[in-house]
Amino acid sequence: MKKVSFKTLGCRLNQYETDALVTQFHQAGYQVVDFSNQADITVINTCTVTNQSDQKSRNIISQAARKNSDGLVVVTGCMANNHKALLEANDQVTYVVDNERKSQIVALIDAHFKGEVVHPDAYARDVFGFDIVDKSLHTRTSIKVQDGCDNFCTYCIVPSVRGRAVSRPLEGILENVRRVVDNGFKEVVITGVNIGRYDHNGTNIEGALEKILELPGDFRVRISSLEPDGFGPDFHNLFQHPKMSPHLHLCIQSGSETILLKMRRMYTARTFMEIVEKFRTQMPGFNFTTDVIVGFPGETEDDFRDTTRLVKEARFSHVHTFRYSRRKGTRADRMENQLEEQIKNERSEMIRQISEVNRLNYMQSMTGIHQRVLVEQVDKNGMARGYGEHYLPIRFQTGNRTRNRFEDVVMERVDLSDPPVMMATNI
Amino acid sequence: MNVNVEQAIYTIDKVRHLTESTYVLRFSRNGMPFTPGQHLVLGLPGSQELREYSIYSGIHDDALEVIIKEVDEGVVSRQLKNIKPGDSLEVRGPYGFFLTRAALPKAGKLLFLSSGTGIAPFHSYIKSFPGADYRLIHGVRNRNEAYDAEDYQARRFVACTSRDRGGDFYGRLTDYLLETELDTQSLVFLCGNSNMIFDAMDILRARGFSQNQIYTEVYF
Repeated sequence: MKKVSFKTLGCRLNQYETDALVTQFHQAGYQVVDFSNQADITVINTCTVTNQSDQKSRNIISQAARKNSDGLVVVTGCMANNHKALLEANDQVTYVVDNERKSQIVALIDAHFKGEVVHPDAYARDVFGFDIVDKSLHTRTSIKVQDGCDNFCTYCIVPSVRGRAVSRPLEGILENVRRVVDNGFKEVVITGVNIGRYDHNGTNIEGALEKILELPGDFRVRISSLEPDGFGPDFHNLFQHPKMSPHLHLCIQSGSETILLKMRRMYTARTFMEIVEKFRTQMPGFNFTTDVIVGFPGETEDDFRDTTRLVKEARFSHVHTFRYSRRKGTRADRMENQLEEQIKNERSEMIRQISEVNRLNYMQSMTGIHQRVLVEQVDKNGMARGYGEHYLPIRFQTGNRTRNRFEDVVMERVDLSDPPVMMATNI
Repeated sequence: MNVNVEQAIYTIDKVRHLTESTYVLRFSRNGMPFTPGQHLVLGLPGSQELREYSIYSGIHDDALEVIIKEVDEGVVSRQLKNIKPGDSLEVRGPYGFFLTRAALPKAGKLLFLSSGTGIAPFHSYIKSFPGADYRLIHGVRNRNEAYDAEDYQARRFVACTSRDRGGDFYGRLTDYLLETELDTQSLVFLCGNSNMIFDAMDILRARGFSQNQIYTEVYF
């Protein structure tokens, strides 16, 4: 049996696509092994969002080639789109497969071992060609509804490497959800590059979500991440549905109106806060998490202060902080007043500290609240862990050793371990 | 860099010089559909240097047009200034959502605020929907930068000139905004440099416009 290993860099969409590939290889009779082991095939799902991502991807490719000198090295993901010619000229790489043909990698490798050397570009493009992920990998599964982005934020290379926004037909999405629910998954995560741009024959993301929520079965729906301009004024009403998880990763990037404009984000900090307040008025415990970029060209002390103020006011329970990284081919790379790394590091650390305080405050505010935990693991002492609908990590004692099931609990206190976790009692 | 967005080679039909530094490129449309407010990414074929320019022509025009101002330290704006009819142009797109975010053209009253070549999306919109109920205020330094002013209904167009008195208003666009009557029921679209946008937004908010009436597209 041929052995295959995987390495994934970058976003959740990449992680989902790797999971789907793992499932496809497993079903095709390959043995999936850890990346640290010897393998006949190594698939590296790369990221190119920053110059550092490219460097990391190159290092992983070298590692894989050194470890498996007789094996095949398949490079896919955004770096494969962004630096295709360079990768094809690299002797360490056997195949370079772009994002549009990523779902065809198993067919490509099968053909290779049958002696047919086919150029990956000969395969049809299908960004939605992944089958459902095996439930042994996770308790929640992603449903890819959209790919690509047309926003052209000034710091971002993604529109050039993931291509134009394309939406998966609604019927395909619903069929995918039906199958994963029938297959035992209890949580589906709606995923894409910019899912707020979902538009299929006039159905937007809100319409698609409504249809998903109407499907029968005991499951819940979570949204992976969303841009603040990606939905209408009544979006918050969708979260009244019992299957909808009260959590949004809503990307702010900066609290400074000046910087948001320079980033070409299509919202203001003011409208962002109006959204947050609208949700919290209706659902006081609603959990917001976000992305912030610090050190964007020209970001002044005042601009950064606006960001720290907004992060505090919005009470994000988690802030994924990125230090701005120049990316060739983007408008921001040509902007004046590029900041020193030391300033970016300091600002990143300040946001991290605020985020930590926010997280503990949010967790404290949730004590005494009922949650429905999706159990991911139960240890030998009967201590279960999983996530509630608000996307807080929860631990509790249980008599039921099975995973991938819902259990009702009340959150009682915050355990200040690293990372902190809610301790709960089942009811 | 290998990109996978739509890209194609188009043929230059005409180069129209509006001032010493500003010119309009007209090139084959090749059936490209677009909505006013969208932009294209342009450059010389095979060049690594590409830039974004808003579409200047209307949706019913046979050809595509973009308006470009030569930038002193710029690369693409200087390269394209020397391009000739019959030459090739690499074009990607169209992209963007600037004027598509409101329900146009049924949006009712529209207030368009632009500086310099930031007038492009509004020129495209007005050529596409000549019956629209718009008011266009254009901030420039000199009268000769009120590009193609004759394309707008005189009663709907105001050129604010900050360096000569040849415009309809002598002063900055923001000075005009402080003085003129504004219909606070209008949807407002701003396109131009970021300083104009920040200052104008402050004035608009102070004059009673809400944030969700205001849409912006920054030019760098």
